[in-house]
Amino acid sequence: MSRLVRIALALALAALLGVLAWRAAGRHGLVRTTGTPAADSAMAGLRPVALWFADPGGDSLVVEVRDLPEQEGLHARLAQLVDALARGPERRGLAVLPTGTGLVHAFLDDRGLLTLDLSRPFTQGFHGGSREEDLVVGSLVRTLRANVPEAKRVLFTCAGAPVGSLGGHLPLDRPIELHEAF
Amino acid sequence: MSAGAPGRPGAPPAKHTPAPSPPAARTPAPSPPAARTPAPLPRSPRARGTAPAFALAILLALATAACTAVPAACASTPATAAVTRVNGVPCLGAGDLARLLDGSLWWRADLRKLVLRAQGHRLTFTVDAPVMLVDDRTARLDGPVCTLGGEVQVPVSVLAVLPRDSSAVRLVLEAGGTRVRATPAAGWVGAPRVALAGELTRVTFTTAHPEDARVGGRVRTHFRVWFPGAPAAAGGDTLPGGALVRSCGRLAGGDGVTWEFSLDPAATSFRRSVSPEGVVVEFSRTPLEGFEPLAAEGPGPRTLRVIVLDPGHGGADAGTSVPGAVEKDLALRLARVLAPELERRTGARVLLTRDADRAVSQPDRAETANRARADLVLSLHFDGAPLTRAHGATAWCPPLEASEDAAAFSSSGITLTPWRDVAVRHAMASRALADIVTRVLAVRGLGPARVRERLPVSLLGVNAPGIALECATLTAPDDLARVGAPEGLRTLASAIADGVQEWARHE
Repeated sequence: MSRLVRIALALALAALLGVLAWRAAGRHGLVRTTGTPAADSAMAGLRPVALWFADPGGDSLVVEVRDLPEQEGLHARLAQLVDALARGPERRGLAVLPTGTGLVHAFLDDRGLLTLDLSRPFTQGFHGGSREEDLVVGSLVRTLRANVPEAKRVLFTCAGAPVGSLGGHLPLDRPIELHEAF
Repeated sequence: MSAGAPGRPGAPPAKHTPAPSPPAARTPAPSPPAARTPAPLPRSPRARGTAPAFALAILLALATAACTAVPAACASTPATAAVTRVNGVPCLGAGDLARLLDGSLWWRADLRKLVLRAQGHRLTFTVDAPVMLVDDRTARLDGPVCTLGGEVQVPVSVLAVLPRDSSAVRLVLEAGGTRVRATPAAGWVGAPRVALAGELTRVTFTTAHPEDARVGGRVRTHFRVWFPGAPAAAGGDTLPGGALVRSCGRLAGGDGVTWEFSLDPAATSFRRSVSPEGVVVEFSRTPLEGFEPLAAEGPGPRTLRVIVLDPGHGGADAGTSVPGAVEKDLALRLARVLAPELERRTGARVLLTRDADRAVSQPDRAETANRARADLVLSLHFDGAPLTRAHGATAWCPPLEASEDAAAFSSSGITLTPWRDVAVRHAMASRALADIVTRVLAVRGLGPARVRERLPVSLLGVNAPGIALECATLTAPDDLARVGAPEGLRTLASAIADGVQEWARHE
């Protein structure tokens, strides 16, 4: 390899590294200039939540305990849980909630029936069979059971409409007891 | 071994003394591909004009690495390999060793080292060295590792230093020392020998782990004994006259080995013991001390006049789709194969909820079953798990506990069940069917198969015992290949029909 070629390669490599370093610095700089969110009463502390994700083998659910910012109000708490489930685990496991699923509305009646209205990706983004239907519902039920003690039963709806079933295998048309062995 | 030059400089050429073995049984020993692909190293990278050679060397090295990374297990593998004598030392080809251990070979031509990765361990051999590394431990061999015809030969004394993990394949030198055989970690299970010992009928099994044998079924018609390991022989022994064993056979598939016996109705009890020969199961006509009673027979055959097969999905609802298979089509094809099989075996009338690719609502499916007064409903599905590595079959059956809705209606000891949940009335029979069908699937090697107690959509409003059976997982390559094979659906139908028959016998 001629000397000129090697010099050219070294210069190109140095330029590439320089560009990467500049971009990385710029990204961090942007974060710093924006600053951290202003502390308010809702974000003052963290609370541990138990989130359930699918085992990669697809046979069971695995729990991940994570500290999330304290939220005030049922809707904010549930939205945070649904969002965390949809984003997926930070450690072992797989997200089973269809990508993009979010909370649209939540209502808890005085008998402990929680109506959880989820966004359209909940049904439109599901493409599995009965076992993954079971995992999706199981991850929601177990997460609610662990973190929303005031709820006794949950009814899933999607964009305001009833959900008969996610994939046509397991019925979701009735409220599910949160103590059921999912 | 670069350029196929074996041995040390000045060392005498290796003598090749093939062990006496039938030529047909001789397994050609594949050599590490790198041995045939020397990678020339540049002598002076600074020299002008060596750039093309340098690039070529890199390409060759990459190609060599790719070749050597191919698992040796990809080759078709009889579980034995011939032993070859090199300079009087019995040796095994490195390719054969990798094949028997289901491992991969990596050849470092510059260091003349051969690394074999198998079953979580790393074995490192150096040509001309009489020692090797097992992971990070040094082990001595009977002679030096050598090469012969371009292949690395390892002294068979390597068998003594191989790791003996609980799940690892064992390599043993056969009597005569001419071949090395791979045996499962749990060992072999011999065919049973049936003999009379006075009033007793004695069945003896040879097994490496007699303490792990389990009696799986105690009914006279299906007395089963399970062993860990692999079967050493296909058939059973000749049954002597007057024995309490009428027939015996090995159940195919599943983990371990299961032998099933049909016993004479005069048999009342059995005893399992361990002897130097292995496991001994004795059957007696009269209850004896130390003997356990055989299980009582079931309440008798179930009525099975009408069976409804419900192929899942249909029309615009395709169910699970993967390249080469669509759930709605597979379910319909399976139903068409299963229907005559069930009619032939049970004599029942078999109806299909759909016999074409069309959408059928769940109320219509339930109505078909209810109008026909079905004695059994089988909803046929194929699972899909794009997010996970799930595989195998799942049977969904109504839960044994009444739903909260039903409990809410209960008063004065009377439970009112919503018609939607009417299948829960048949939960016991449905669960029994689910257990039997999944067991048969597992035994036939069509598992893993599990049971889930949750009322499936396909049994809503169905007033009959039934299950929704996810027969396989189409997103799992092995399952897909199995159901896509020419006899795949027929094998599946046969297993399901076996389960239905056993459920109907209710023994």
